[in-house]
Amino acid sequence: MAAVEVRDLRKRYGSFLALDGVSLTAQTGQLVTLLGPSGCGKSTTLRCLAGFLDPDGGSISIDGSDILGVPANRRGFGVVFQNYALFPHMTVAGNIGYGLKLQKRPKTEMAERIADAMRLVRLQGLEDRYPRQISGGQQQRVALARALVLRPRLLLLDEPLANLDARLRDEVRWLIRDVQQESGITAFYVTHDQSEAMAMSDMVAVMKEGRVAQFATPREIYQKPVERYVADFTGEANFLSCTRVAPVAGGYDIEVAGAHLRVAGVPGIRDRAELLLRPEALSIAPDTGQALFQGRVEKLAFLGASQHCEVRLPDGGALKLAVQANRPVGVGDQAGIRIDSEHAWLMPEVRQ
Amino acid sequence: MTDQTNTFGNRRVMAPAFGLLIVLLYVFLLAPLVTIVGASFTGGLLMRFPPEGLSLQWYREFFARQDLVDGLLMSLRIGTVTAVVTTAVAIMAGLAGQVISGRWSGWFQIGMTLPLLVPELLTAIGLLFFLYKIELGKSVIGLQIGHILMSFPYAYVSIVAALRQVPVSLEEASASLGASGWQTFRLVILPLVMPGVAMGGIFAFINSFDLYTVSLLLKPLGGNTLPLALFDFLTYEFKPTAAAAATISILLSILGVALVQRLVGLQRAF
Repeated sequence: MAAVEVRDLRKRYGSFLALDGVSLTAQTGQLVTLLGPSGCGKSTTLRCLAGFLDPDGGSISIDGSDILGVPANRRGFGVVFQNYALFPHMTVAGNIGYGLKLQKRPKTEMAERIADAMRLVRLQGLEDRYPRQISGGQQQRVALARALVLRPRLLLLDEPLANLDARLRDEVRWLIRDVQQESGITAFYVTHDQSEAMAMSDMVAVMKEGRVAQFATPREIYQKPVERYVADFTGEANFLSCTRVAPVAGGYDIEVAGAHLRVAGVPGIRDRAELLLRPEALSIAPDTGQALFQGRVEKLAFLGASQHCEVRLPDGGALKLAVQANRPVGVGDQAGIRIDSEHAWLMPEVRQ
Repeated sequence: MTDQTNTFGNRRVMAPAFGLLIVLLYVFLLAPLVTIVGASFTGGLLMRFPPEGLSLQWYREFFARQDLVDGLLMSLRIGTVTAVVTTAVAIMAGLAGQVISGRWSGWFQIGMTLPLLVPELLTAIGLLFFLYKIELGKSVIGLQIGHILMSFPYAYVSIVAALRQVPVSLEEASASLGASGWQTFRLVILPLVMPGVAMGGIFAFINSFDLYTVSLLLKPLGGNTLPLALFDFLTYEFKPTAAAAATISILLSILGVALVQRLVGLQRAF
């Protein structure tokens, strides 16, 4: 059980800056997700935590003591890899018991702890199988059990679901979260899948080009992103450029696509700003009098539970929104759009 | 309608042609072996195929010739030491080669396989001068060094291929579970590359058993390897004893391959 503090981590490969000052914290028992596209530095950060990689600068401390000088095999962290990294010449029980064997634990204790770990990840009965004889989902559960059986101070997971198919991914994802919460272990989780990050994490660090773009709870990351990059990466999003911005108490008065609004937003915006509207903050108004925007339906796709709809605004902007499945809409219709201004969020505009 | 042509032409012609090619290949590969094995069992006095009657007399004759038996024992001893030393060094070199990065890695590879690239005769002459300089000329140790040098690339190539099959993440997983570098090597890497190591050892052994030029130049006083002894023998006598010796060599090779198959399984070795 441990609180982790990563401060100003730096790593350079030749001319490529892999980590450009990464800072993060994790409280005891939290699951912290590093989210971002490939090459953003999330795996590099995890490898520094695991001790597989030495950063050029910065510090990593656990419960106040610096661990950067400690080699990987003395850190006592559990690591779960994307490709499972099971030892192919050992049985399931042999894999799980590997760390215990190295610690020279008595036979009875070993057998007990292996059995406990197998129960924890629901793998009873597969003790004597070899990794190649079990499915991918089972292999990843063996990897999880192998890491947890040593009661590590910290659990590090590097895209553990990336090689699994969609159905197994869900199953293993909930297992990981359950086990992590049950054991109260602090965990770092690397992924490029925003829904995974949202569903599992206590805290999410959205990473961009070797830096942490935003470090906050999943809710805050989704609803109150600090920049467009974060909003884009965490889900479907509409952005509208504002023509006028005036700060007022608790938010901003803005003019957007010919309409006036009062919305909350990132503090300290001066002039140029854009409005974030998530698809679920928008709806089609029953009569045009209640509508804030007018537009023409350009695309429509029936998805079963809802319809995906794209509306073109007169000023050229477009809005994506989810419409109830049974609402009669057609391509080419004029539609009035209502917004739930509590779910609108103002961000500084980035010039591209 | 049935257009079965591809880049290699008509398939109905290609398939039998390919089959014929394979048959021919095997005939050319196996014919000398069949001939020599057959000739070794002849009841006559000349090396002939097909044999004239069956007899084991030439095997008796072979084991009665002290010079040939000494040669066989010398070859076996040198081959065994060569296999053990080359595999041990090749494992170390293979592990080192993985750590070397960038353009040095290519040079390292070339350096390790250099004995394959330089003509054997040149290496042998160089070694001869070198061994005399360090006062190991005409000694068994000198010959042994020569054999290890010439056979090393065979063990190295086989072991490096096996090492490449072991993902780095296995080493990292092992370290994260508390294993030291040595423990990771002994418990994870070595068991996984064992088939390649065994194969490399056998390649090195067979290569050593077969070396002629190096042995000729470096041969110790009063000692002969089997190929040298056989050549000496054939210079004066053209008797089927030589065929018996060759058959024993072939048998040893088959034994080696069978041993690997038995211990680690041949499929895993490649």
